[in-house]
Amino acid sequence: MRSRIALSCVAAVFLASNAIAEGVTLTDRISKEIPLYIAGSFWIDNPVGSIEIYGSDLPNAVVTVTRTLNAADKETLKEAREQTVISFEGDPNVALVRTLLPPVRHGWSCSVSYSVRVPRTVHVKVAAKLADQIRLTNISGNVTVKTFSGTITLDNVTGPASIDTINGRVVYHYRQKPLAHAQIQAVNADIDVFVPPDSSFNWIVDTIRGDILTNLPLRVTGVAETQFRGGVNAPGGPTLTLQTILGTVRILATGPQQPTPRSIRQAVVSQRVTVQKTVALQPSQRIQLPFVEGPWFSSTSVADIAVGEIRGPAHVETRAGEIELGVVWGECIVTTLGGPLNLGDIMGPLTARTGAGDILIRAARDGGRIWSGGGIIRVLYTGGPTTIESGGGDIVVRQAAGPINASTRSGDISITADPNQKTQKIQARTDQGNVILNVNPRFAADIDATVMTSDPDSNAIHSDFNLTIKRDRVGNRTRVRATGKVNGGGERVELYAEDGDIHITTQSTAPVTVMTPVQ
Amino acid sequence: MSECDLMRESMPLLLTESLDPARRELSHQHIEHCAACNREWLAYRETWRMMGDLPEVEVPERVRERFLASIPTDGEVVIPFRKRPAARWLAQAAAVVLLVGGSYWVGHRGAAVRLQPTPATINAVAPYSIAESRVLPARSVSPNIEGRPDIQNVSFNDPNPNDSEIGLSFDITSHVTVTGKPTDKSMVRLMRYVLENEDRMSPNRSRAIDWVRATYSRPGNADPEIAEALGNVLRNDEHQGVRIKAAETLNRMPGAMAFETRAALIQALKSDPNPSVRLKAIEALTNLARSGVTLDPAAVDMLRQKASQDDENLYVRVKAAEALSNIHP
Repeated sequence: MRSRIALSCVAAVFLASNAIAEGVTLTDRISKEIPLYIAGSFWIDNPVGSIEIYGSDLPNAVVTVTRTLNAADKETLKEAREQTVISFEGDPNVALVRTLLPPVRHGWSCSVSYSVRVPRTVHVKVAAKLADQIRLTNISGNVTVKTFSGTITLDNVTGPASIDTINGRVVYHYRQKPLAHAQIQAVNADIDVFVPPDSSFNWIVDTIRGDILTNLPLRVTGVAETQFRGGVNAPGGPTLTLQTILGTVRILATGPQQPTPRSIRQAVVSQRVTVQKTVALQPSQRIQLPFVEGPWFSSTSVADIAVGEIRGPAHVETRAGEIELGVVWGECIVTTLGGPLNLGDIMGPLTARTGAGDILIRAARDGGRIWSGGGIIRVLYTGGPTTIESGGGDIVVRQAAGPINASTRSGDISITADPNQKTQKIQARTDQGNVILNVNPRFAADIDATVMTSDPDSNAIHSDFNLTIKRDRVGNRTRVRATGKVNGGGERVELYAEDGDIHITTQSTAPVTVMTPVQ
Repeated sequence: MSECDLMRESMPLLLTESLDPARRELSHQHIEHCAACNREWLAYRETWRMMGDLPEVEVPERVRERFLASIPTDGEVVIPFRKRPAARWLAQAAAVVLLVGGSYWVGHRGAAVRLQPTPATINAVAPYSIAESRVLPARSVSPNIEGRPDIQNVSFNDPNPNDSEIGLSFDITSHVTVTGKPTDKSMVRLMRYVLENEDRMSPNRSRAIDWVRATYSRPGNADPEIAEALGNVLRNDEHQGVRIKAAETLNRMPGAMAFETRAALIQALKSDPNPSVRLKAIEALTNLARSGVTLDPAAVDMLRQKASQDDENLYVRVKAAEALSNIHP
């Protein structure tokens, strides 16, 4: 139901169209009183613009709308005016105010601001998209806010509150001790909660990259993954659930002479972790160091790490983040549960592991073990026995001067043996993809290459060496197997590809030049 | 008779491949551009296919006997032969003699007809080249690929790195290399065909995507059809390495992504089992948002869902959250 705009409301329209260079602007304002019971609900939906709702002891709701339109010219302004509609709907139980806009707006923009007075006991539901400010004051009913961006301020909102936002900030001022549950979910927003110092409540904070700061006597009763649980002052009370993916949560006591806020994460870490120089579960940070003298150990929850040179062994762990190391003079163990690895010249044995992401290694001089849960692995040079595994993605070894064992669940494997190597052990296996091996023409090996395929017309083994090729049926698939000793035989070369080709070529390639860095 | 009528008359011949090449090409071009004839042609093909599928059925003996029995054997349907009178035969013979004799007499009285000799000239002959390999400029290739030609041994080359032209070689009935600018419609369609031809191109698709990335991520070369083909690869290919490359390549051509391609990225973000594909889908969507494109609500919702999904890889969650900070819905 739509109600007509009552004549009793104050209507002040002032035109501010001017001849500024790019266009014209129109601002108009309407005010309307709509009937609303004290136990009713007030819903507002405004895609673009600010919203302020304050509770009072007066009956009914009074809505003041300020509409600002910007257009390129007067014709477009007229169109904007016609298409930006303020709709008043509902009944005294549920009043709904909406801004209706076309999904696509050509040549004009608008912003609609609302200032609403409601009975303090009503339930309020706010839906917005791009809001500068959403402010709710003196509301004791249920409050629900959903928006994409903007600063959400709840001031003296004593009823249950549910806030859902993506960007922006959430500020919650409790003028009295919290009495009802509150749930705030955000993605990139900081959450600030101010409470009286003698408040008692339970809290659950979940943040991946942010910190938890407080000056209250917060007790931590549980830590799980990115989630922290605890209580304040006396046990019991309502629960404040505060979740933000990348933001920081602050739970602060109001009033004079409050102590300086401290980090809950740091406190938890200092109690639990004893490893020297370890900063486990610390809030997210970007670690950038040009140079580390001696060994370096780092363990973080979410961090992007970039170190130019480490003169000693390196042990780097992060739950999520990119790791970039330039030169490591010693053993190098790098682990991230998600994020790309970019490693330069690794002098000692290498263990590189990522749960998801690409890996680029310029030189693993002693070889090592390289693993990605899913991603492309590129190794420009490896000088020792190297095992490379990918949960799915291509593996490229530009120059292998040591034994190689490469496997991927799905992806191509391309290995170029060091042209100076006369023989070396090579194993490559892809469960879905092609294997390309390039060696020098004098390379000596016992080659055993197998293609397992459902399409024998498409998949085959192509070799620059003379190999004996056999085909046989295995179930409903065809196995193509090429074996033979080349150049008198040597180390074993085992290649296996499912639903793909195997290419063994003898093209001459320019060797990768690996310069030893100056220490 | 309109062009459409002529085309429809020639459709049975087209169907049985009895038309000469020139008319066949003309007919195909007309069918491509005329919706009515296209419908007619599809109906012909469907009918032809269905006829081919129909089994040959022997007429049951009982039906045959019933049919033969239904033919009346009495004289009602038999026209009796009547003997013509001899005088009529004589009159007809005289008329024939008169006609033949008259014609002979008139022919001998007139002058002999002489034809002036005219020199025969051949204005243009397209030489038919029997060659192992041939090079065709892209402009001479129709951008419409009919049916699903079985092309093999696809390779990409850049015959002259100093010009903007590229080459795409393949075997069909002979080895063909089509050269042209990457933006030529024929070249785009060929690339698309190579990318999308799932069952035959699989061993080459990874290399095809590498080539496409190198060629079409250059400013000015990005093409919505290529992006759409990559979206289809991202959606359908079983090969995780190929899907990673497809998402990575899409990330480099944000300007060419239409709605369908964006939907493929959202789908990959939602359900691809490989976290690297999901990461690259997020990167592509972020790049798209940075380029000024307004993302649709489905993309925003999916990013939000991924950022909050507890069992998702932490880095994927962080990247999804970061992507949301770049978006202006």
